[in-house]
Amino acid sequence: MQKLLLTIDKISTYAGQAFSWLIVSLTFLITYEVFTRYAMDAPHAWAFDIMLQMYGTLFMMAGAYTLSKNGMVRGDVLYGFFPQRVQAALDLTLYILFFLPGVAALCWAGYYYAGDSWRILEHSGITAEGPPIYHFKTIIPVAGAFILVQGFVEVVRCILCLKDGKWPSRIQDVEEVDVEKLKATVHVTDEDIAKLDEYVTHGKGGDK
Amino acid sequence: MKKEAWFGISIMALVVIGVFWMMPPLSQWTNGHLGLLMLAMIVIAIMLGFPTAFTLMGMGSMFAFFAYYSDNPNTAVVHTFDLVSQRAFAVMNNDVLISIPLFVFMGYLVERANLIGRLFKSLHLATSRIPGSLAVATVITCAIFATATGIIGACVTLMGLLAFPAMLKAGYSTRLSAGVVTAGGTLGILIPPSVLLILYGATAGVSVVQLYAGAFLPGFMLTGLYLGYIIISAKLKPSIAPPLSEEDQRVDLPKFAEVISKKSNNVMVGLIGAIKGQRNADVPMKTLVNHMIIAILPALAAALIVLVVYLWTTAPSLVDTSGLQVMGDAATEITEDSTDTGSLQEPEGAGGLAEPSAELGQAAQVVPAAPEAPQPPAEVKPATPAAPEAPPRHAPPLVFWITFGIVAAGVILFYAIFDFVRLEVFKMLLGSFFPLALIILGVLGTIVVGLATPTEAAAMGSFGGFVLAAAYKQLNFTVVKESVFLTAKTSAMVCWLFIGSSIFAAAFALLGGQEIINTWVKSMDMTPTQFMLLAQAIIFLLGWPLEWTEIIVIFMPIFIPLLAHFGIDPLFFGLLVALNLQTAFLSPPVAMAAFYLKGVAPPHVTLNQIFIGMLPFMAIQMLAIFLLYMFPQIGLWVPGLVYKG
Repeated sequence: MQKLLLTIDKISTYAGQAFSWLIVSLTFLITYEVFTRYAMDAPHAWAFDIMLQMYGTLFMMAGAYTLSKNGMVRGDVLYGFFPQRVQAALDLTLYILFFLPGVAALCWAGYYYAGDSWRILEHSGITAEGPPIYHFKTIIPVAGAFILVQGFVEVVRCILCLKDGKWPSRIQDVEEVDVEKLKATVHVTDEDIAKLDEYVTHGKGGDK
Repeated sequence: MKKEAWFGISIMALVVIGVFWMMPPLSQWTNGHLGLLMLAMIVIAIMLGFPTAFTLMGMGSMFAFFAYYSDNPNTAVVHTFDLVSQRAFAVMNNDVLISIPLFVFMGYLVERANLIGRLFKSLHLATSRIPGSLAVATVITCAIFATATGIIGACVTLMGLLAFPAMLKAGYSTRLSAGVVTAGGTLGILIPPSVLLILYGATAGVSVVQLYAGAFLPGFMLTGLYLGYIIISAKLKPSIAPPLSEEDQRVDLPKFAEVISKKSNNVMVGLIGAIKGQRNADVPMKTLVNHMIIAILPALAAALIVLVVYLWTTAPSLVDTSGLQVMGDAATEITEDSTDTGSLQEPEGAGGLAEPSAELGQAAQVVPAAPEAPQPPAEVKPATPAAPEAPPRHAPPLVFWITFGIVAAGVILFYAIFDFVRLEVFKMLLGSFFPLALIILGVLGTIVVGLATPTEAAAMGSFGGFVLAAAYKQLNFTVVKESVFLTAKTSAMVCWLFIGSSIFAAAFALLGGQEIINTWVKSMDMTPTQFMLLAQAIIFLLGWPLEWTEIIVIFMPIFIPLLAHFGIDPLFFGLLVALNLQTAFLSPPVAMAAFYLKGVAPPHVTLNQIFIGMLPFMAIQMLAIFLLYMFPQIGLWVPGLVYKG
């Protein structure tokens, strides 16, 4: 079972990471566009639409990836204090109560929404003779489906946690604040920190 | 379960009881009351810790369905679907939110350039004579680094590893050290380019450009208040921040500088003497010339400032792009010209555009005294209008001459005390402080002046991040890859939250919850001041259990429609909210900054010590909110200046 979960995790991760690279092309596209507009006075009408499509695709497709890494923002006032079983029970209830209906609605609605767009082969109305956007609208149901599948994985995780009393493992990923890595970049070791204790306890400027 | 959990649960129970107590009996419920119930439920659901984006999405679509169902059961499903998909697509097509991934990406790249260590070292040497110098350097480092990266956690952690030990070793009190690191690390929330302001702009429909222009001064004011507090308390109670030992202040001079400084300790006198005379055969000419060029950079910068002020104050009534173009051209000209004179080393013969800088440098070495000050203004007058100009310019107003006098006096003073130790420190700053300051100012400057949209400026900033990381030899595939993935996760987190909240807000409006709140607030007959105080107090309280992202996207839509009724400027309100939410990072017991610091602090530093250390800074933040409230011009002056129309 754990193997299946990790496989789906991996699919979400790979898909999300593949689309993450859009940020690099977005950066360079806009830089290039700024250059051609201000230096060569030759703006491209399509640039604005393409930028938005890159950005939209980027964050939509990264949704399942973020969910699989437990990266969606949580209100962490109480959650952290609960025992793991209680966490799992709460999560399970709320996944069924809010997540599944919400995301299912998004998928379903997105499916019809994109379908309408395909039917008329819709083009963007932001600029005159804008580029096509039916494929862009298709991102909604696709990203929704990825998240939905990942959501089922999370539901199974909750059930496993309820059974075993502890959360099943996840695949490691880069973290925003990786303390060990930061320590390495500024060349500080744990011993250095431990040594500092004498200044805290006997330091002349200590709080007494 | 721990007692904290029970405490939280009892708070939640109080919310539930409170809601039911305030509600009319079940039979009198309208859709609007359902909306209020939804609002109460969302607070509880968020406190339970489920990913907020999906709570909002699920609850929003369910309540939207109820609302449509009560209207017409047959079309309810279709309408709900339309709402959900249109809201999602609106976020995907949002030309304000698009800057978020770009700014976040820039932040990660700049963070990986690994400048913070150098930045701290050079700043602490530069400020070593000021009381509490290490703390001062910490705040400035944090302000710059947190602003450029916007990553609070990494900034506090890194400063906890670098500055915190340095301060403890220098005998600073644990509380002050902890307070400085945590307070400084959170400055990035407020000072633009900050994601918080983009999110507020997208939610409230306020121009991000104006928000950035407006948040600049309050951010500086807050930093200044921190610095003032540190310096004054270090002066009054040297025991909490003793002056640095001689050894800590020492700067090792390179060999050539030691040789020259025996002749004269002043950089300009020493270098010119060394270049002209043949006395120092063992010092290569190239080193001397290079240092000369570095040494005249401040004068060039000063000349540039004067030039910009001149062009700006004397600009022919219409400020348009052609004027800016000229400004850029003239600036390049002057730079090229003066670099030439710098290498030629003929201060007497330096003519043309480079006049002011060379003249000032000379003035400084000959007589470093005030009587020289009135002299340069006469020189600069023929020099500046050299730029080709079609429409006639105004005569320079008094403001220009005042600025000029101040800058000239500053430059003279600077060169009078510019010795070789300071040259070394200046070189270190050049390698750490100025690149970051340049990126921030470049990004903000182009946005605020109106040259580029926030999106374009953010992309250029990311590009600058690439260049910066490459310049410091930190650019490799792993760094880019990690930055890319982190950017994707952060953007997905924020933007999915935004999808959720816009579905939620739509459902809330459909149910008429907003109207109930509006009539309720209006019926209370508050003065604008009371309303403002109430709103800020609510936001402050919400800052304890909730993250700032959640507060902005869920609760701002409720406050914003009320602003018009009380005649409050949404821009001004946004600035107050930003300051207010920054306070939330420092208010125990959920102050995130404290936990980041605790994670890397020595074991005997307790959370309580950190919390106590943060309190004075929290008080300063309150003072800053108060000041901004009393003198709205602090926030509105710059936007008004730039956007007169």
